[in-house]
Amino acid sequence: MAAAPPPQAARPRTDTSHLYDGKVVRSSAPSRKKAAGSMKVGSEVPDDAIPDVHIPSFIEALLGGPVVPRHKFLPADRMVQTLQLGAYAMLIALGVITWIVTPPQGTLWFWIFGSVGGATLLQSLVILSATGTGFWGTMSRDPRWLLASYFLFILAAMRFASSKVALSNDWFDLQQNPWLETVLIVLYAVLLVMYFELTNGVIRFSMLDTSIRTNEVYVMNVKRIISKYHRSLMINPAIAGVLAAAVLSINTLIPAVVGWFSSETAIRMEESVELISVYGVAIGSLFVFLLVGLMFAVNLPLRLQKWRENRNE
Amino acid sequence: MWSRKSALLGSLAVSMYLMGLTLRNSQLVTVAVVIFVFLTYAALFSGHADVASSGRRMDEWIGEEGVALSNVSAMRKLSAARVFEDGEVEVTLRMQNHSALPKILEVRDRVPEVMRIKQGANYILMELGPRRETFIEYTVECPLRGFYSLGPVAIRIQDTFGMFHKEKELHVYDDFLVFPKMEDLKDAFVKSKVPKIFTGAVNIRQPGPGSEFYSLREYFDGDSFRSINWNAYARSGKLMVNERERDAVSDIILIVDSRAVAETGPVSRNALVYSTRAAASLARYFLSRRDSVGLIVYGDEVVSVDRDTGKKQLYVILTKLAGAMARGNTPLQVVVNRILPHINKGSPIIVMSNLEEDPTIVNALRDFRARDFDVTVLSPSSLEFEFDARRLDRTGFEVMKTERDILISELRGMGVNIMDWEPDMLLSTALAGARGF
Repeated sequence: MAAAPPPQAARPRTDTSHLYDGKVVRSSAPSRKKAAGSMKVGSEVPDDAIPDVHIPSFIEALLGGPVVPRHKFLPADRMVQTLQLGAYAMLIALGVITWIVTPPQGTLWFWIFGSVGGATLLQSLVILSATGTGFWGTMSRDPRWLLASYFLFILAAMRFASSKVALSNDWFDLQQNPWLETVLIVLYAVLLVMYFELTNGVIRFSMLDTSIRTNEVYVMNVKRIISKYHRSLMINPAIAGVLAAAVLSINTLIPAVVGWFSSETAIRMEESVELISVYGVAIGSLFVFLLVGLMFAVNLPLRLQKWRENRNE
Repeated sequence: MWSRKSALLGSLAVSMYLMGLTLRNSQLVTVAVVIFVFLTYAALFSGHADVASSGRRMDEWIGEEGVALSNVSAMRKLSAARVFEDGEVEVTLRMQNHSALPKILEVRDRVPEVMRIKQGANYILMELGPRRETFIEYTVECPLRGFYSLGPVAIRIQDTFGMFHKEKELHVYDDFLVFPKMEDLKDAFVKSKVPKIFTGAVNIRQPGPGSEFYSLREYFDGDSFRSINWNAYARSGKLMVNERERDAVSDIILIVDSRAVAETGPVSRNALVYSTRAAASLARYFLSRRDSVGLIVYGDEVVSVDRDTGKKQLYVILTKLAGAMARGNTPLQVVVNRILPHINKGSPIIVMSNLEEDPTIVNALRDFRARDFDVTVLSPSSLEFEFDARRLDRTGFEVMKTERDILISELRGMGVNIMDWEPDMLLSTALAGARGF
């Protein structure tokens, strides 16, 4: 196989195309005629002579562009509709689980009202609003509503929990089974992130679809690109879920490992307040990310990538 | 490279993690962990392993673009390297993936802003299989003259969630020229008064050996018997001979005004655009008649193409016209002073200028006329361009138009053949008008 050609250096511009850049149909050299056109008393500057300048807001300047895209989309195609349906399903599930795993105790409303009733009402309202804005945002494909929905969902989760997992309605008696409780929390976290991703996908693929249909972009092998996305939507949350479960089960995993050397210490660790509290979760995540950091430190991903790129050569 | 999405998610994860620890809320920490895992997975397994690397470089590090894009190459082929305005160029871009991994690539072939994509697309999202290549074809329309380059080819690879991306520019360039559009001319109504040594196709207004009838005169000793007009002899009873117009090669000098003010008006409709098109059409017309044509383009400097004949000369002239840029403010007098010693007396001179903002125009053209040059001025009206673009109100237009009419009348009074060339007028009509037909 022929080797890739050597990279060429960037070269200075010698063409004349820049003379027309940014000039659509109007442009003129400085001319007394232009002044003559605007000097008349009462005459207005022609609309097409005023350049359309968008001054970025402070936030836009920080982020290097608008927070939400201002595209107008064509009607959704099948792929986008499927994603929308997925997002609706995710939203319902997320709404219900959020309501279950975020009891009003410990919320800001509980602190304000001092009563469970008022706090429950407000917390339910926040979750309902998050779901409603999410629905509307997904349906109208408007990122502003989606941003509002994300914010409200995060707001609903902001509560002082005293390191305890509490449920507002324990219909399935999950608090008797810590493992199932862990699964519920992981499910909540994965659903929340998947909701972010799916709704983002709705916007992203709407943009892509609009670009394709307006001939701005041409897509080759659409099916393979989409199937890759679908595959990632399955694999990624599964891995994230497993790792999150591992992090949450740190109070079981560490004692199990320690148990090989000393069963007494293992039992003491299992009952340790630190390990069953949020700090246990923090330690768990620390272990996971130490591992990931170590991988990067030895440049394992890069070596892996190089091996995959050049195998069978 | 981090995208805005991944940056926002990363910040969110960090804040949720810290908030979770502060509020002792394991749910927040779990959400943060899940987001971190999402980000790490995207960085690790989507061809972006090098994105989040620790900063250490392997010895065999290839380049800033990373491993994933180092095995992608591009080649380009154009259907033509020279086209005329409104012509089309078919571009074939060949993308090759030399690696053993399939890649989802975004490819954007940079096309000058002024070009229009007529068919196909220069922006492609594709899945390129391992050790595969693909051809991307598109057609660009070139509405305005100039020197252009296609390239570089920008390629981007990103993970399926759009969290991270890597970009690379493949410095593959292809140049092409867009010549000014030409109009077919049947006659330019321009005739030289001065013969040159070699006979050619253009008639000069002097009797001499040639093919076209000029006048009748009485027979003198030495006249050829073949030139006797026997019909005239029968009518008048005196021997009369036919005189013919002298055929000769003429020197034609084209002067194009490319000062900054020549670009007044919309990009596609201004004096410079019209002037270059007129100069190209006239050059082709005169060269096809074996005249020798010279070109002077003046703007910030005076660029000249020496008089010559033939197709090669047409190519040289078209190339100069393609590259004419509206810059500077060199007065016409400077041009006249510079070229006067070098052009044959009586040669036709055709000036294409909007006659704006140059106080030396009258004197410069007077200098030409004083030396008996046949001067034709085609003056594309910038006022009309401005007025059409609604940048000039009616009163302003009328005032300026009156000023312009006075200038044109003054020049006409000096014996300059001048035409106020309005935007929708054909070149042949403008020429005929200038010559009083």
